[in-house]
Amino acid sequence: MTIDFWTLGLQAINVGVLIWLLSRVFWTPIAAAIGARQTATQTALDDAADVQAKADAALADVTQARAGIAAERTAALAEAAREAEAQSKQAAAAAQTQADTLLAAAKATAMAKAEDDRAAANAASATLAVAMARKLLAGLDTQVVQAAFLDRLVAGIAEMTPSDRAALVATPGGIDLVSPDALDAAAQAKVTAAVHKALGGKPDLQFVTDPALIAGGELRTAHFTLHNSWRADLDDIAGALTDAA
Amino acid sequence: MMSPLESTVLFSIGPVPITQAVLTTWGIMVVLVAGAFAMTRNLTVRPSKRQAALELIVATIDTQITETTGAAPAPYRGFIGTLFMFILVANWISLIPGMEPPTAQLETDAALALLVFASVIWFGVRGAGAGGYLRSFTRPNPIMIPLNILQSLTRVFSMFVRLFGNVMSGVFVIAIVASLAGLLVPIPLMALDLLTGLVQAYIFAVLAMVFIAATITDGAPTTQKDS
Repeated sequence: MTIDFWTLGLQAINVGVLIWLLSRVFWTPIAAAIGARQTATQTALDDAADVQAKADAALADVTQARAGIAAERTAALAEAAREAEAQSKQAAAAAQTQADTLLAAAKATAMAKAEDDRAAANAASATLAVAMARKLLAGLDTQVVQAAFLDRLVAGIAEMTPSDRAALVATPGGIDLVSPDALDAAAQAKVTAAVHKALGGKPDLQFVTDPALIAGGELRTAHFTLHNSWRADLDDIAGALTDAA
Repeated sequence: MMSPLESTVLFSIGPVPITQAVLTTWGIMVVLVAGAFAMTRNLTVRPSKRQAALELIVATIDTQITETTGAAPAPYRGFIGTLFMFILVANWISLIPGMEPPTAQLETDAALALLVFASVIWFGVRGAGAGGYLRSFTRPNPIMIPLNILQSLTRVFSMFVRLFGNVMSGVFVIAIVASLAGLLVPIPLMALDLLTGLVQAYIFAVLAMVFIAATITDGAPTTQKDS
């Protein structure tokens, strides 16, 4: 048994060269490929973790936003309910006010109408009473009545103050002496004499006819009237009746 | 029959005789390097089946190195992996008719053992420093220095003798049976020889790793080693 050291050395060199070559064309490239894949995988995992973290953050934001939206919705609903209640109360108050106004107006209208009706009824009653009195008085003796009214006219002049009588006498344009019927000359002279005597002067007298007086005689100027007729008396009665009613 | 201990010199280059084993080794080198170059040209992040198979080989080698040494596999991957692949292919080349495994020749196994011996020194000095490598001979105590030196020689001697004996005996037995019983009878023995070749390649690579790891571990300072 012998060992060929040339062959031994040559084989050692051969295997050494093979180790060197395979390290460069086989082991290193494949290990680099494995390392590259591990790096890529780690990078992908890191990216996935980042994306997961972003997704979690986005989900948290969405959840928070949803909670905010729900709270905002609840607040909006509560606000709307409050506004609706306020508007309802306001509308009810306005309706109540309008109803009160309408009711008050209706009451006032009704009261006014009742007052008008009552006044109309009173006026009708007074008119009816005057008409009845006028019909009753129409049957009396005119001469006697006129004589009585002349006495009342003289008494009324006498009741005036002297200054009033003097002013009446000094009235420019004279005094109208109003009677229900036209007086004849004798009657006019009698009345003129009585009036002049009562006034204490002789103012100019114009005789005027007014059937509405029914009976009596009145003195009238532009600014003064001395009532002395049944018409005036009936008017006073009607006014008293109306006031009493 | 020619003695298995003799080498057939095919031709000589100057004073260097080129034997059958050397020529076969060159052929194996060409096939391995060319095949490796062809298969690793288009490596991508998304691996094909071929790339996945290659990566499985590398990952398995890395796992074995890590489990044996406890260190990162990158510095040892090229040496240990190439050693395993060369021995495996050299052992299995006997399946080709007319081919004789280079590992059935004493010089090839001795060259492999010599490379392991040199790599133990190289990795020991690189891993633990020159002082650390020399310190590895003082474990467990300086009295063991002569025995450790002797052990560093005998263990590589035993490696190549084990490899040579197993491969050579397999080839020799198959040759004897084939010469006596014809073509089909040696097939079971050839299948057994495949298993023997795989186991021997694995044992040789693992022993190389163990020797390297032991040297680095023993070369570390006491506190670091204890930790």
